[in-house]
Amino acid sequence: MVTPAIFLSDVCKNYGPKQIIHKISFDVKPGEIVGFLGPNGAGKTTTMKMIAGASTATSGIVEVSGFDMSTEHHEASKQIGYLPEHPPLYDVLEVSGYLKFIANAKKIPRQTIKKELDRVINACQLEQVSKTEIYKLSKGYRQRLGLAQALLGDPEVLLLDEPTAGLDPGQIHETREVIKQIGTNHAVLLSTHILTEVTLICDRVAIINQGCLLAVDTPSSLQKASRETNRVNLLASGNINQLKAELENLENVHSVMSHKTQHDLTNITCNVSTEDAIETQIAKITTGISKLYRIERQQPTLENVFLKYIKKGDSL
Amino acid sequence: MSGLFAIYKKEIVTYFRSPIAYFLISSFLLGTGYFFIYNVFSTGAATMDLTFRDMAFLLMILIPVLTMRIFAGEYAGRTMDLLVTLPIFTWQIVLGKYLAAVTILLIMTLATFINLIPMFLYGNPHIINIVSGYIGFVLLGMASISIGQLYSALTKNQIIAALLTLPTLLGFWWLGQLQNMQSSAFMQNFVGYLAFSIHYSELIRGLLRSEAVVYYLLVILTSVTLTINYIKWRR
Repeated sequence: MVTPAIFLSDVCKNYGPKQIIHKISFDVKPGEIVGFLGPNGAGKTTTMKMIAGASTATSGIVEVSGFDMSTEHHEASKQIGYLPEHPPLYDVLEVSGYLKFIANAKKIPRQTIKKELDRVINACQLEQVSKTEIYKLSKGYRQRLGLAQALLGDPEVLLLDEPTAGLDPGQIHETREVIKQIGTNHAVLLSTHILTEVTLICDRVAIINQGCLLAVDTPSSLQKASRETNRVNLLASGNINQLKAELENLENVHSVMSHKTQHDLTNITCNVSTEDAIETQIAKITTGISKLYRIERQQPTLENVFLKYIKKGDSL
Repeated sequence: MSGLFAIYKKEIVTYFRSPIAYFLISSFLLGTGYFFIYNVFSTGAATMDLTFRDMAFLLMILIPVLTMRIFAGEYAGRTMDLLVTLPIFTWQIVLGKYLAAVTILLIMTLATFINLIPMFLYGNPHIINIVSGYIGFVLLGMASISIGQLYSALTKNQIIAALLTLPTLLGFWWLGQLQNMQSSAFMQNFVGYLAFSIHYSELIRGLLRSEAVVYYLLVILTSVTLTINYIKWRR
């Protein structure tokens, strides 16, 4: 069995009498990218900080590469590359000077420092600004420099708190490619608000809200598990009211919504709770009453899944 | 030790890439030069005693400017999370930063050696007094930096750190004034032992006593230890 690179078991965090994180348990294996999803204030950054060692858990176990963060923090920190929510930069330093400081602090051997700096500068496309003072950098460059310092030393575990925030679409694409590449042989925990990012690069998703972990699974399993949000969309014309009434009577159809489009056509959305081919039944009824132009089954997006879990979490 | 050296180097570069180091060194040199000329011409004596006293007072006003950013700047710049997650021990972070601030103090001290040239050219000063005075000045500066660094670790606001450091240093200095108000001999000795000024006065008079040196080293050790533990506890 593969030892998880990140392992959390019943982790709680209190600030004074207030409990912020409630018994969170999950793991990230080497070569896996896990997306950490949750609304603002859900506890993503607090959890990331506990894994990175910037904060300690009130109770529970946090392990990184097999090292317990409460007792072997120093050993564990050698395996971690951490990009906090706000890139931790020293404005008065030059880009190369800053990276050299991080390389020295990470105890990268002197003879390999130059090679390592070139590698991260190249990966994060910082060649043009390597001699520029950090305070002169744009938001995108600052974010990429933050990522570069996390990549220095090729750590086993990467903790990235919103790594693509502030980047332009081209840079976002490049950064995702870099993360994907790293994720093939490193453990990556990636906090983000961008759901497409999770779908595109993450192997698994952890959804958190109000300090509680609501679900951990692959994006496709989560989508499958929330089939009650499945929808069948159809475009029809004719006696819509009768059609709606007939469709509502169908078993496994929760509700039917409609709105008129141009040329007397109507978009009808049926919320269904079955994976069976209910489209055939819907199509049969529709063609009997009106004219059917199009029918398609709409799978739940990750956004639907996320919203569903967040709503559920609110009522916890 | 490479972690400590990395922090030290980063701090020194930061001091000299911002106006702080230049402001501190130039203000201190100007102030010290003025006091030196005033004291030598008004007394006509080739001695540094009075100048050392004025230098100490000037130093205590400037130390908060030097120390206020040490940790408060890291909190404000959100770089503290990076430092504590790097494979560096907390004591290396605190000591690296402390030694960098002490380096600025030593540069300020070395710069005042220029005053000694005319003194040795035209007078006959006591070398022992000058050496002892400079040791006292550096020890006083190191103790003051350690207190300033502690306050900087306690608050996210640099101005508050400076505003807390200044009265604390002046309080330690003027504590000697309370000595005569104590009725018991024990309290007189105790208050006297805690005062910066009493130990400093002995050192600038050429009395290089171990009691004074140990006192300043104790202040440094206590403040640095408290800073290390506070940073650890903060996690």
